[in-house]
Amino acid sequence: MTRKMRMAALAVLAAACATALAACGSSSTSSSSVSANGIQSPKTQAQSGGKRGGTLTVLNHEDFENIDPGLAYFTIDYEAVYATQRPLFSYRPNTFAQASPDLASEPAEVSSDGKTITVHIRHGVHFSPPVNREVTSADVAYAIERGANPNVANPYFESYFSSLEGSANAKGGPFPGITTPDKYTIVFHLEKPTAAIVLDALALPLSAPVPEEYAKRYDARKPSEYGDYQVASGPYMFKNNSEGKVLGIGYQPGKSATLVRNPNWNASTDFRPAYLDEINIQIGGDTNVIGRQVLEGSNMIQNDPVAKAIVQLAYEKFRSQLEISPGAGTRYIAVNNKQGPFSNLDARKAFWAALNRVAMNKAAGGSLVADVQTHFIYPEIPGFEDAGGLQGPKVDYNEHPEGNMAIAEKYMRLAGYPSGKYSGSKTLALVGSTAHTGEAEIADSTLRGLGFKTKLSLVDQSVMYAKYCGVPAEEIDVCPNVGWGADFPDGQAVLDVTFNGNKIIPSGSNNWGQVNDPTINAAMEKAELLTSREAREKAWAAIDDELVADAAAVPYAFVKEAQIESKDVAGVGDLWNSGSWDYSFTSLK
Amino acid sequence: MSVGAAELLPSAGGGLDFLDAGDGIAARSPLQLFWQRFRRDRVALASLAFIAFLIVLAIAAPLVVRALGLPGPNVENPNLTNAFGSPLGPSAAHPFGVDQLGQDVMSRVIYGTRVSLVVGILGTAIATAVGLVTGVLAGFYRGWVDTLLSRLTDVFLSIPILLLGLGLGAACEVRGCVKGLIQPGLGSVIFIIALANWTYVARIVRGLVLSLREREFVEASRALGASNARIMFREVLPNLAAPVIVYSSLLIPANILFEAALSFLGVGIRPPTASWGEMIAQATPIFATAWWYMTFPGIALLLTVLAFNLLGDGLQDALNPRTAR
Amino acid sequence: MLRYIIRRVLWGVVLLILVSALTFVLFRVLPTGDPARLRAGRVASPRVIAEIRVDLGLNRSLLEQFWLYMKGIFMHFDLGYSYYSNASVKGLIADRLPATISLTLGASVVWLLSGLAVGIVSAVRRRSALDRGAMGTALLFISAPEYWLGLIVLYLFASDIGQIRVFPGAGSYVPLSSDPWKWFTSLILPWLVLAATNSAIYARLIRGSMTEVMGEDYIRTARAKGLSERRVILRHGLRSAVNPVMTILALDVGVLLGGAILVENVFEIPGIGLLNYQAITHSDFPIVQGTVLAGALFIIVANILVDIAYAYLDPRVRFQ
Repeated sequence: MTRKMRMAALAVLAAACATALAACGSSSTSSSSVSANGIQSPKTQAQSGGKRGGTLTVLNHEDFENIDPGLAYFTIDYEAVYATQRPLFSYRPNTFAQASPDLASEPAEVSSDGKTITVHIRHGVHFSPPVNREVTSADVAYAIERGANPNVANPYFESYFSSLEGSANAKGGPFPGITTPDKYTIVFHLEKPTAAIVLDALALPLSAPVPEEYAKRYDARKPSEYGDYQVASGPYMFKNNSEGKVLGIGYQPGKSATLVRNPNWNASTDFRPAYLDEINIQIGGDTNVIGRQVLEGSNMIQNDPVAKAIVQLAYEKFRSQLEISPGAGTRYIAVNNKQGPFSNLDARKAFWAALNRVAMNKAAGGSLVADVQTHFIYPEIPGFEDAGGLQGPKVDYNEHPEGNMAIAEKYMRLAGYPSGKYSGSKTLALVGSTAHTGEAEIADSTLRGLGFKTKLSLVDQSVMYAKYCGVPAEEIDVCPNVGWGADFPDGQAVLDVTFNGNKIIPSGSNNWGQVNDPTINAAMEKAELLTSREAREKAWAAIDDELVADAAAVPYAFVKEAQIESKDVAGVGDLWNSGSWDYSFTSLK
Repeated sequence: MSVGAAELLPSAGGGLDFLDAGDGIAARSPLQLFWQRFRRDRVALASLAFIAFLIVLAIAAPLVVRALGLPGPNVENPNLTNAFGSPLGPSAAHPFGVDQLGQDVMSRVIYGTRVSLVVGILGTAIATAVGLVTGVLAGFYRGWVDTLLSRLTDVFLSIPILLLGLGLGAACEVRGCVKGLIQPGLGSVIFIIALANWTYVARIVRGLVLSLREREFVEASRALGASNARIMFREVLPNLAAPVIVYSSLLIPANILFEAALSFLGVGIRPPTASWGEMIAQATPIFATAWWYMTFPGIALLLTVLAFNLLGDGLQDALNPRTAR
Repeated sequence: MLRYIIRRVLWGVVLLILVSALTFVLFRVLPTGDPARLRAGRVASPRVIAEIRVDLGLNRSLLEQFWLYMKGIFMHFDLGYSYYSNASVKGLIADRLPATISLTLGASVVWLLSGLAVGIVSAVRRRSALDRGAMGTALLFISAPEYWLGLIVLYLFASDIGQIRVFPGAGSYVPLSSDPWKWFTSLILPWLVLAATNSAIYARLIRGSMTEVMGEDYIRTARAKGLSERRVILRHGLRSAVNPVMTILALDVGVLLGGAILVENVFEIPGIGLLNYQAITHSDFPIVQGTVLAGALFIIVANILVDIAYAYLDPRVRFQ
């Protein structure tokens, strides 16, 4: 899922990182290395003991993409949705390893054949006004069922819930895969033993309860308007009027949003402290201006990607107000494995060897914002260490983060270009994004250094994905600005849709390089069905190794995200959401 | 385009007044008179010299850059940015500083001259050629050709030009337009400029032709039995030459700014080619701290456009002393 | 007279339809992108893409789509729906219009007054140092790119990042209704930048026009009658000299109401120009169609008003 990468790119370049690690190679000559001392991390922030009360002002450069829990899919959406909705499971701020029961009262029971999941939900959880009544399992069932409703069209329903019985023909109505034997129990029946993935997917907002009798009339509209009238189950809600209307009251698209306390929220049923009384989100403005206002002001945070110059400012003058969150995803270069010069394995290795990954990351903000990427599963995801950790597999094309032309030329010769440089006639088509022009230009000049003729186009990021890189028929040769952030902490969520040949679709494809190696595909299909966490970790790490051996793409960044707060805010960031400040845990000092 | 067409009409008694100077005084050709007047305008001469300098700079860019000891415009140098990727400012080795990729700004400004001059001059030339042909045909033959042209002009004039350019530029991204005939980058920008400007030229030319065709020398030619084509070529066209040249010389600076605006908005010249507008665009997110990257290309644009504007003014004054400032 | 007005207005409507057809063709035929795919790009399901295509009517012929679009506009004033922004085009434009109007009208007041003042003074004191200085500065402003001027001005005077912190910087625009003082101060720099170029053009125009007018006989007569120089200039000279300026003013305002993209971009003013720019970069065709139409509407209306004014003043025009 590209949500994190999209948000990282939509604003002016993301923030910088903390540690100058060995993988970064020799230190740059014109600056002292930056260190992590004094910078906050979501892994170590205090999860309790905050002061109750107060209004937090949030300055965001970008607007929400969609606040309907059945549609929310981006980092910025999750900030609001996870404060107002309670999916069956969710993550505590300082971890991405294991989901905790949220609406669920205890961990799920999985049958021995891996085809049945039973979840018990808590008693005493109520919807916000105007619905007010207690949440039942039928509400969770409806929430997931509406994902298949074309008026809603949840983006990940097909990826994660297609193994539910009868889901293929579902159009928003009930289907046999979900049953509710009683008011507080919900059972999932799967056709294939993919329980692990379904369980992971139940931590996504789709499983947050939606009252059918209230939402039905909004879901009947094209497109559904339930988001504009939504009710909450979490500690906060979008401000609304007595009819439940949020649009124009609690959310002015492009302008502002207001979250207030949900009067029907019962603190004893929730692990969230919910210190703040109100959260006031202001949308728009220049990221440099926002950054300065937050750092120099009071009771404010910025909750979307921070401008490069601001990260530098924060690091130099406001270090205690800066948070760096690791494991925010990856950025890499997708090369066309199917046609053109990069369908040749050695040519791909040559490009990998030639690329100066340190320079690429500098263009994004330096070693504070990104570590040099050496393989495809990124930090905080199980399998990262097994697949090589920060150093990565020890192959010669991976050994030089600053690029090594000698090794590159060696591989070019192996690819069939005796001079060590490309001697063919094809002009490579590169499509990059306007949010990351520096990286695109470096990739472009690296290719020219290898003898290729190139044509670089920079387009808007969403257009890059939707129109060019995500459409195999466009036959783009190189996409230098693609990135990925997993939906949940599992190797499958990182590697499947991005590198599985069976997951290439004619449009909206996330396998931008059209990687289609039958051995790797088969290994992935097998790994998808494993149920034990340890087995999955090992299996997907092994697949990562194979992808490196296949040089399926050219990596460059393990992304880290920066967040900033005012001096009197005790912010708590969500490790699982790029370190975004969590409204339910943050308090004012 | 706020250029009054009335000023350009070869009014009776315009450049030809001096021929009635009396006995004993040698008559000079219009061209000589024009040059004499132009020569006396020091500002116009200076701007002509500056433009000549720019043209030389554009042609000899690689030599100049090498002579100044600067790296090429596309030489990336990550060591010239600090740990956060911010570029270093002006220094002895890099008088105009560097950009975010460590590329030398002075070098890129010098190479940027090529883009601006080529696009400005070539784009204007094409627009003028197309406008000239259509304007002459419309003004001469009148009838449905004229009506069609006028209506077409009206439509074009109703669309905000920058919007049109923006839309076309975005449409021609990546793959180009007209089945790849017009490639993104230089090709599409020249195409857009030609498309945006030809109606203005056509309108002016049409106006000129309309007034010319009623003049005595045309009537005389027709009385002698000359064909339409001959009249167009021998009588009308030469008289159009001066005003059209002046008008297009005023279009050039506007088109240089237009290209820069398109590149600034991201639909014009693409990296890695150096274009002043694109450089300003790249500089915008960091201009508060990296002022040099935004300032020098802007000054280059300012000076170039200023020079062409002054030249255009000078040409206009030399041609029509009645409107001399 | 009435007949002329009706003819002009009818032609205006035809123009609007033609412009709309031109943009329609431009964005559907040129390789800009399948709107369904762009909308669905964030949803990524082939089944959904097919549904959206039917919803957007993309499976019908181009002519039919255009007909439906035109019908929507003239019957319901419905400019379409943007799936990318999840909002109706009409709503978005109505939302952004006040900012553009604030920017345009404010700037036009500034450039008209300053252009007139400078132009008159220059014309009256021809060839003096003041004249040369003024005209030189005017030429400088005409030659500078507006967005660059904007950046320079922000660098020097913006209250958050400037060297001399005076005026609010980029992105500080608020609507008039929410905070009049902040609205006013946030627009000062944009007004100055937008007015700079136009002011220069108008100054030169007025100067040229006044120079011509001042050489006329009736001016000499007025002087001979003993009127004060100030009266001569302002009452008699300016009145005729102003004609071409008013024409151009109407046209310029008409164009700018369609959105001053460059200035709105640099100062982050949420106007129609910025909306259009964002829509084009996102390939969000419904918005582009709508904003181009709105921009063309303003230009056409301005042209009609000017033509009617001319026809009123000069009866010969009505019979062309």
